[in-house]
Amino acid sequence: MPILPLLQSASNWAPIVFIRDSKYGMPVAESFHLMGLTILLATVVVLDLRLAGLGRNDYEISWLARKLKPWTVGAIVLVMSSGLLIFLGTPGKYLDSRPFRLKMVLLCCAILFHFGVLRRFTAGDSVARPVVNVAVALLSLTLWFGVGWAGRAIAFIP
Amino acid sequence: MPLFEWCQWLQHTRFATAISESDWLFPLIEGSHILALPLSVGMIVILDLRLLGIAFCDGPGAKLVLNVMRWSKIGFAVMFVTGGLLLITQAGKAYDNAFFRTKLTFLLLLGINAALYQKLFFPKMAEWDSARGAPAGARFCAGVSLLLWVGVIVCGRTMAYQF
Repeated sequence: MPILPLLQSASNWAPIVFIRDSKYGMPVAESFHLMGLTILLATVVVLDLRLAGLGRNDYEISWLARKLKPWTVGAIVLVMSSGLLIFLGTPGKYLDSRPFRLKMVLLCCAILFHFGVLRRFTAGDSVARPVVNVAVALLSLTLWFGVGWAGRAIAFIP
Repeated sequence: MPLFEWCQWLQHTRFATAISESDWLFPLIEGSHILALPLSVGMIVILDLRLLGIAFCDGPGAKLVLNVMRWSKIGFAVMFVTGGLLLITQAGKAYDNAFFRTKLTFLLLLGINAALYQKLFFPKMAEWDSARGAPAGARFCAGVSLLLWVGVIVCGRTMAYQF
């Protein structure tokens, strides 16, 4: 497969080497990753709690979904670009890591679920029963926080 | 007993070593500390963005902000408990770490900033016309808050590299 040599040469690219080998390169890249995580999961939590009917619910979920969307999308761009910079430093290490592979699977599921399924429940014209809304919100939270836990596990589990 | 020796003693108590030597306890606490970020800092970011007039400014925004302020209390409770436990296991190493000291200073400033906002601006929040936006002082508090939280995250992540 030609993808491995491509990743190897990317890991020797000067900006990637600088981030990986300089004293503060990795902490700064990871700080951006954490800031993206903070905003991304905050938008997910706020939307899912409203969908589940928790808190004061005197605002329209369609309004909330519309207002949150640019922040969710922007935060996904931030986490994925900072994540890519971290990944390219040592691609072999990450490809061999089981938690990393799980994280990528969960990430794909979370994004597909968020923009494919959850959208139908937050558009405002949904007629789903409350118990279905709660289940959808729970699944969404499980997927997104699963991505986070799998990411944290990379440091502890081979 | 001087603070440094007290920190070292703390780090070597049986309680602290039990956490740091456990295969799953330390990762669990550290993971919870990081994944409580959206529920604590993330909620405050939503409040700050509204105060600054950047997002969530129209009608229901005020009600959304009341929700996120309440939820953030749960997030910060998790943060302080998990952060306290992490500190106990590494107190001796954290003591003279510049990033840890900076993080604590920023957190102290954030506490003062939040108390000022709570005292001066929060009680009149209902009076702000959403078209007119928050008063200049409240905007200033929100801007300071966003900058300091970025600093806290950067210092928190960087200090772990030095242990």
